[in-house]
Amino acid sequence: MAKRVSKAEQAYARKVKDAVHLLFFKHHKLPGVRGWELRQELGPDWQSVLEVLDKQLQPLDLQVTSVTDDPSIVEPTSGQLADARFYITLRGTVDQKTAKTIGWRIDDIAGLAVAVAYIISKQGKAPRTDVERVLGDKLPGWRVKLNLDRYIQQGYLAVDEQGVMFLDWRARAEIDTKKLVDLVVGFGKKQAEA
Amino acid sequence: MSELESVINLCRMVQAGKIEPFAIDFDYVIGVIRKHYPGIRDVRDFCVDAEALKELSGVLERQNKWIEHQSSTLYKDPFMLSQQLMRMDIGAIAEAFLKSWHPVSEMEQVSARTLAESLGYWGGLIPLDERWRGPDVEEVETGTATMGEAVELGLIPEEGFMGLVEGFWRELGARVGPGGRIDYWDWVGAETYRETVYRAYITVFMVGYGYANVEWDRLLEETVMVHNPEPRPDPGRSKVSLPVMVDYEEWTSWRRE
Repeated sequence: MAKRVSKAEQAYARKVKDAVHLLFFKHHKLPGVRGWELRQELGPDWQSVLEVLDKQLQPLDLQVTSVTDDPSIVEPTSGQLADARFYITLRGTVDQKTAKTIGWRIDDIAGLAVAVAYIISKQGKAPRTDVERVLGDKLPGWRVKLNLDRYIQQGYLAVDEQGVMFLDWRARAEIDTKKLVDLVVGFGKKQAEA
Repeated sequence: MSELESVINLCRMVQAGKIEPFAIDFDYVIGVIRKHYPGIRDVRDFCVDAEALKELSGVLERQNKWIEHQSSTLYKDPFMLSQQLMRMDIGAIAEAFLKSWHPVSEMEQVSARTLAESLGYWGGLIPLDERWRGPDVEEVETGTATMGEAVELGLIPEEGFMGLVEGFWRELGARVGPGGRIDYWDWVGAETYRETVYRAYITVFMVGYGYANVEWDRLLEETVMVHNPEPRPDPGRSKVSLPVMVDYEEWTSWRRE
């Protein structure tokens, strides 16, 4: 029995290691791995392997995150999870100093926050011209276009052929949209309370 | 532009997020469609009418999503949100964003193993002029062959297919004893990959027709063959399917072990 348990532990450890290789390293054009790819590599108990990995990543301030293609799905089924994309993301958040060291100017961060919050407030879709107008209130025109192109290139925002912007894969993987909107809406209240 | 086309454009503005879904008066739009319906004369008119209906149904879908969004915890009044964003300075907006941002961790690295494998691939790569050369095709007349010739060519087994399966069953019994067990790879694995694939192919039928059973341990990823002392090759009984990948890499690692 003890031999069997030890063998099972070894098998799990190997699978967790395989999951790390799959999730941390970029295998496709975009980072992240689809659920069905994980199932193919890790076996039928792939979701349990990810749970173990997530627990092991906790002390390192990292986590396993899944993003479904349909943003309206709150609790995905097994089938939907197989199609979802899995990533390793920071469990906590970064401060301004760290953000600067990874190449983000404060204007760029604020611009992205405004664009994301505006698009959310418009049910996830807004014409690019409207987003440009909102950003143009506080950023010079040339910078607005440059920043939006950068957000699109990095996968935070996308624009369709009709010029309508929406949140792309990276925004859905990295940004806790509910928290962002709550913080923006609660900004004045917090100050008034203080 | 006809009245119907104006209605179609109006509905498309909702799809594009240019106007709010409830800014469209459903009764008015359906009234326009109804008004024009009896006047349809040709296919083009009919297509415009159908297009208007399709776009209107899209508006209804957006209205439904709008209600769902409003009732969700994510909903905040867009006007209020815009006002708040205008009130906040850039530092405060950036601070709010950073508190809700969990960047993806991604790495790109070339390992010594990857380099070695790539070099191996490069070495085995056929030059372009050879790869892009057209195939040498020769026209061959169709012909016939006797059963004896097909057996001689190895296309049909001499003892018949079921005889082949029974031969495998007897071999399994001889190796593990009646009811004995053996690891799948130790059973199908052979000196050459070709022979291994052949053994795996016949094993599928051996299991399918009840001459042997197979057990999986999903956690340990082990597959075990179990000899069936009393075969049940009854075509009326349910068949067992044995999907096992006989991968070349797995075969080489089995050979190394």
